[in-house]
Parts: sequence; C-alpha cells; structure tokens
Amino acid sequence: MNKMEFNQLEETLYHEQLPNGLTVYILPKRGFSKTYATFTTKYGSIDNHFVPLGEKQAIQVPDGIAHFLEHKMFEKEEGDIFQEFSKNGASANAFTSFTRTAYLFSATGRIQENVTTLLDFVQSPYFTEQTVEKEKGIIAQEITMYDDQPDWRLYFGMIENLYKNHPVKIDIAGTVESIQDITAEHLYTCYHTFYHPSNMALFIVGNVEPDSMMQFVKDNQAAKTFDPPAPIERIFPDEPKEAAVKERTLEMAVQKPKVFVGIKPERLDLHGSEMLKHELSAQLAYELLFGRTSNFYHEAYESGWIDESYSFDYSLESGFGYALIGTDTNHPEKFAQEVKKTIHQAVEKWPFGQEDLDRVRRKKIGFFMRALNSPEYIANQFTQYAFNGMNLFDVVPTLEQIEVADLQEAFAAVSAESQQSVFTIKSPEKDTE
Amino acid sequence: MFETKKIAQGVHVHVHETTQFKTINFSIRFKDRLTVKNASERAILANVLQHSNEMYPSHTALRMVLDDLYGTSLYIDSTKRGDDHIVNLNVETVNDQYLSDEGVLEKVMNLMYIVLFKPNFENGQFKESIFKREQESIVQRIESVFDDKTRYAQQRMMELGLPGHPASITSNGSIEQVKQVTNESLVAAYHHMLENNEVEIYVVGDVSPELISSHIRDYFHFADRKELPEKTESQLQPPEQSRVLEYEDMKQGKLHMMFFTPVTFRDEDFPVMQLMNGIFGGYAHSKLFANIREKESMAYYVSSSYASQFGLMFVLAGIDRKLEEKAVSLILGQLDEIKQGHITDTELEQTKALLTNQLKEALDSARGQIDIYDQYMELSEDFDPAYLISRWEKVTKEQIAQAANNISLQMTYFLSGKEEAKDE
Repeated sequence: MNKMEFNQLEETLYHEQLPNGLTVYILPKRGFSKTYATFTTKYGSIDNHFVPLGEKQAIQVPDGIAHFLEHKMFEKEEGDIFQEFSKNGASANAFTSFTRTAYLFSATGRIQENVTTLLDFVQSPYFTEQTVEKEKGIIAQEITMYDDQPDWRLYFGMIENLYKNHPVKIDIAGTVESIQDITAEHLYTCYHTFYHPSNMALFIVGNVEPDSMMQFVKDNQAAKTFDPPAPIERIFPDEPKEAAVKERTLEMAVQKPKVFVGIKPERLDLHGSEMLKHELSAQLAYELLFGRTSNFYHEAYESGWIDESYSFDYSLESGFGYALIGTDTNHPEKFAQEVKKTIHQAVEKWPFGQEDLDRVRRKKIGFFMRALNSPEYIANQFTQYAFNGMNLFDVVPTLEQIEVADLQEAFAAVSAESQQSVFTIKSPEKDTE
Repeated sequence: MFETKKIAQGVHVHVHETTQFKTINFSIRFKDRLTVKNASERAILANVLQHSNEMYPSHTALRMVLDDLYGTSLYIDSTKRGDDHIVNLNVETVNDQYLSDEGVLEKVMNLMYIVLFKPNFENGQFKESIFKREQESIVQRIESVFDDKTRYAQQRMMELGLPGHPASITSNGSIEQVKQVTNESLVAAYHHMLENNEVEIYVVGDVSPELISSHIRDYFHFADRKELPEKTESQLQPPEQSRVLEYEDMKQGKLHMMFFTPVTFRDEDFPVMQLMNGIFGGYAHSKLFANIREKESMAYYVSSSYASQFGLMFVLAGIDRKLEEKAVSLILGQLDEIKQGHITDTELEQTKALLTNQLKEALDSARGQIDIYDQYMELSEDFDPAYLISRWEKVTKEQIAQAANNISLQMTYFLSGKEEAKDE
C-alpha cells in the first residue's frame, strides 16, 4: 500500500492498484463519524462509439445508455439494491456524467458490509428484456422532469451551441425516443467493455482504518475472476475549433429571459499536471474578469443587467470543456454584448497584475480548504482529476506556482471570438388579452 | 457538544471546540416572529447588509477584503422555522494554522462586527440606490420560483390551502409587501432586529470558547432584550378546496398532496411520526419508492416529507399528466397498508437505521451541528444524539399504524401542461 502525506493540509492518502487493475484510495478523516465511498467507472455519456471488448468492429450505441445502465445496476434477481443498503443503515445513490458513472454510499456504521454491497452489486450485472422495458417509464419521467427545467435547458443548449460533432452535445439521459431502442444486450456490451476493474476506481473517505480496509477490499476482489485488463478503444469525431452555432434562442415559459455566453477552449488535448495548471490558470483569469470583485460585475450589477442568478464557470475535461457566463436578465442582448466586450478588451490589453493574482489565488486556496471538510467533494473531485491524470492534492502547490503570465496564456486559449456563442431562453410572445 | 454562555438577556453564544474541520464556522441568528411583513422587510435587510457597509462602501470593496482573508465566505440569508423568521449571518474562514498567515480570525470577527453594526448609511438611511436594487432583487427572487416547477407547485398548494398560515409564508415574504417597504421602514426593521430580536451565536472550530465569548461580549455590544411577544400556536384550518388543478406550459405533471397530522415536533409521538413518514415515503426503500416507482414505473421521483413544526405531511411525485387519478389512488393505497399495520420488520429496521445514520451524518458538518442544535435547543438544553436515537429504537409497528390512522388527506394539487389536441 502506498502512502502520500500532505503535511500542510494534515491529510494522508493511502492507495494501491490491485492485481485485477482496480485502483483503491483510502483517506481517513479525523473526527468524522461517517464514511463515504464511491465506486466509479471511467465511462459516461460521451463514450457512445467504441470497439466492444473482444471484438474488432466499432459500434454506436443509443443515446442515454450509460445513464440507463446506471439505473439498471440497482436491480438484481433477488430485488432492489437500495433495500440492501438501507438494511445496513447506508444512503446509496449513483450519478452519470459526461465522462464517469459513480455508485456511492454514505454510512456511519457497518462499513465493511456496505463496501461489500457496493463492490458486489456493481460487479454483478443482471439485465433482462423485461427489467429493461420496465425502466423506460421511470427514465422517461426523469427526462421529462429535466425538460421542464429552464436552467438545465440553458446549460445543454449552450453545450449544443459550442460542439458540432463531439458527443458531449448529447443529453446525458438521452431522449424519451432514444432510450426506447436500448436492449439488455446493449447493456451487457457496454458493461463488459467499461466496467472492468482496470477502468475503475474505488475511493473511501471518512471514519475508516486504512490497513484493514485495504486488506478487506483486496480479499473481496481476489475472490472474483476477471479477464486480464485490455485497453478500451473509444472513437471520437473530429471537432472544429470554432463554436458550432454562434447564437440561438429557445422559446420556453420563463419568468425572465435567461442567457449564457459560452467559450470553447482551444486546448482540449491536455493531461496531468499541465492540464491542472491550465485549468486553474483559466479559472483565476475568469475570476478576475467576471468574479464578484470584477469591474464587469460591478457595472452589470449597477446597471441591472444581472440578478442573483448570475454565475460563471470554467470546466475542462479531455476532449471538451467550456467557460460559461450567464444570468437571468431582461437585457440578454446587452448582457451578451458586455461579456464579449470585456473578453475582447482583455485580449487587446491584459489588465491584471501581481496583486490581482495574489488576491484571487488566496480566495481559491480558501475555497479549496473549505471543500476539504466535505468527504463527498474529496471523493468525487479526486476521482475526476485522477481519470485525467491529475492529483487533487496538487491544487494548492500548483496555485502557489502560477504567475500572471500563466493566466494570460490560459486566457488566450479561451477567448477568441470564433469560439464564443450565445444561447438565450425567452418566453414566447404572449397574445394581448 | 456546544458550550453555552449568556452574554445578555436573550443573547447566547454557543461554541463547539473541535479539530474536526479545517475551517471555523460562525452563524449569528436573529430570530423574530414570522409574518409576511417581517419576512419581506428582513429579506431585503439581509441583502442590504451583505452588500456593503460604512467601512467597505461598495460591493467590490467588501468582496475584495473577503478574498484577501483567504476567500472567507460571508453571506446573510433569511430563513424560517415554524413561527420564526431568522436572519442569519454565516461566515466560514480557514483556520490560521493551515496558512502561513496569522491573525485572520481576529480580522474576520471585526469584519462581522462591521457588517452588522456599521451599515452603509447616508443621512441616517440606507444608501437609496442599494436599497432600491436589493428590493428589486427580492422581487425577482420571489418571481423566479415560477421557473422551478416543483417549488412553484408546492408554493401554490400552500397559498391556496393554508392562506395566511406561517406554513405558507415564505422567508422572502410577498411581492406586494416587498414593494411596500420603504427605506425608512427598513431602517426601523434594522434597529428592531439589532435591539429586540433573540440572538443565537454559534461558533464551530478549533477555537477557545472563553476567548470567543469574551470577544463577542466586549466588541459586539448586544444589549439585553425585552420580552419577546408570546408565541401563538397557529391552528391548521382545512383548505377550502380539496382538489385543485392548474395549468402551465410544461410537459410533466406535478402531483402535490397535503396531509394533516396532530403530531408536531413538540409532541411525545414525534419519533413515531418520523418513522411513519420514513416507512411511507422518506427513503429509497420506502413504500412509495418501491411501489409507485419501481413496481409501477410511474415516476422518477415520489416521496413524502414531514413538516414537523406544523404537523403537516406532503407527498410529491412527477408523473405523466394523464395519470393523476391512478397515482393518487396508489399513493393512498400505500398509506392504507401502513394504517392496517402492514409493515415488515425489515422496513422498520431500515427506517430506524437510516434516521440514525442521517442524524450522525448531519453532525459531520459544522452547519449540520449548528442547525440541529439550534432546532433541538427548544426541547432541551442538553442536546444528546444518543437520546434521540434511543427514542426511535423504542417505536413499535402498532404505534406507527396508529399514527397513520390519525393522518388525514386535506388537499391534492396538480400542476400540468394543457391538454394538447394531438393527444386525442
């Protein structure tokens, strides 16, 4: 078992890769009564075109299948896995993102029993045509629920604007129509390709003793047989550098118009420490331009272009990413114009110096320290980073090394006019009564 | 868990000294009676005080100093619990020992003092432009509920079913009342809050209770509070309409049901009712989830919740808009199962285990510790999680069936899209 100590943070991470390829991380948290565990596969909604394990020909699977598979993992011949977790006092859940499917529980007791349930249920698929058909009604309601949420539509509308070919533009849950094509056979194909231990990570954080827990997980895994690890061949289409759609409006009943300005990053091939430095630098640059202390925010607030819903975000994964700046507003055109103007001015003449960097850096360090109080944040964020070759605990040292020039360079890759897009949601024009 | 010191009549400091967290959490809670007028004024007040102050007269200036204090988070929210309206100053700052910098804690406490006691006044009133802007923010916040159809449907049911009752008053008040607030009335509300509200101050982190308490006593100048107005228990009146259908431009049908129970947070049977709700629809092992979702495939979400302050229980489900009647009958069918005592040992054990787990987990965050302690303080000065857990342990199936028999459906509210011609 390997041990990584982060002295300044007073955290120690234990980790090991098991013979079957599974990577296990254990982080004990002093004073906590709960334990939170995630069992995650590097498989999400974007992995819809791949060569199935042991075959030669690539296949394209129906939209929404990774999420459908996540739902179906919980049903077994002997019943519903939620019931098992509840018996042992654990709250269980799962989620599917663009790049990951995570199964998780939190509990304050019977941790070994719950870890066993977690490992065993994810490693024993059970799909029949009948159970697959039955799930379609449930997921159709989930999709319909999201369809009625304007903020979700805004987010996805923007991603569709930015990406022309990349499967990130496909809604994670698919559509009511696309899920009708899903069969038990599809689920087994996806399962066998992506749920091999070598494509997965187990993260256990909280009230846990590392030595005995690691041994416990090892014994559990050693008792099962898996094929030897094989590389997974995923196929992604070529994606142009520019935003696919410059501007688009969706009509939907909303109280006030909603608008996002999105920017597609140029560097989508980054990995590891280079990726971490770029992501953090771009986040700091965007914080300076659009954060609560920015001139932009001040003017937008004073002029009434933004309200409490205002937000901005920069997120980067392998193959896709986005910067988003948005708000509910009665002046969506003005807002978009001002955001673009602000970016343009920063491209023309970089406005920030050392003092600005020091301030937002301190802010980000503080945010990170607060986040380390949360076992959920640690497990989920660590896993997401690890799948991209990054280490969550490198965040503070990396932040400390960043210089003004790094911000400028990162910003240059997420700012060109051709990479920008605007998406607006407005109520349909009302008939005068 | 918390060490309590009274620093003035009606003002208490509660400190939990712990090394569990990398940060220090503060919560200063001003408690007043919940009325639409109070809520409307205090929602604006929270925003105005959070915006800026005498020392940092612009939003930017205040946010910059917070960034410099290692991204100390500071926000003021207005919330409600039972018949109380609460203005809550929340502050979280990194513990000095994780930083190369020292003295952060003292700076943060001084800043809290400035935020509360040195407002951004101009000629004895809040700066007019800020007042106007924040008044508008609250109006927009109330209006934006419409965009979240689950919240909107719940709010509509409450407005229609229990008009004027604290259960239906939101922590932001109403658009009409918010618009009626003037700068002058806001200043009066501000002074009233500082001088007359009960104040509970919570601190969680690696701090010395003595130092913190004496610092707050010496610098914050909280004067003795006069007697607060007596609490009047609000009676629940049956809604005028027992079934309401409303339409908006949307795809899903939102089914909301309201039940009355005679059992509240303050009753002996409170733990029985918590278990009843848990078995019925509080969890993923509950009857509603297992039957309406898993067996019937009718819903993605279907759950019950218990508003113990008022003796209300709700069921919420997102369903196909054509299936309202079927869903209502299936939901009531599951309630009947409990009424008849059809509860398995497994269901009982699962629900006890999850209530216990939920409580213990909540205590793993500083916010959770503060919220739970603040709520249970009303029942007993000595908060003891083990005692709460022991009360659940003792509950029997018969008691749960009895509690279910005392529940009455009062209203169903259904929000859905308009019937489209092409469906016919």
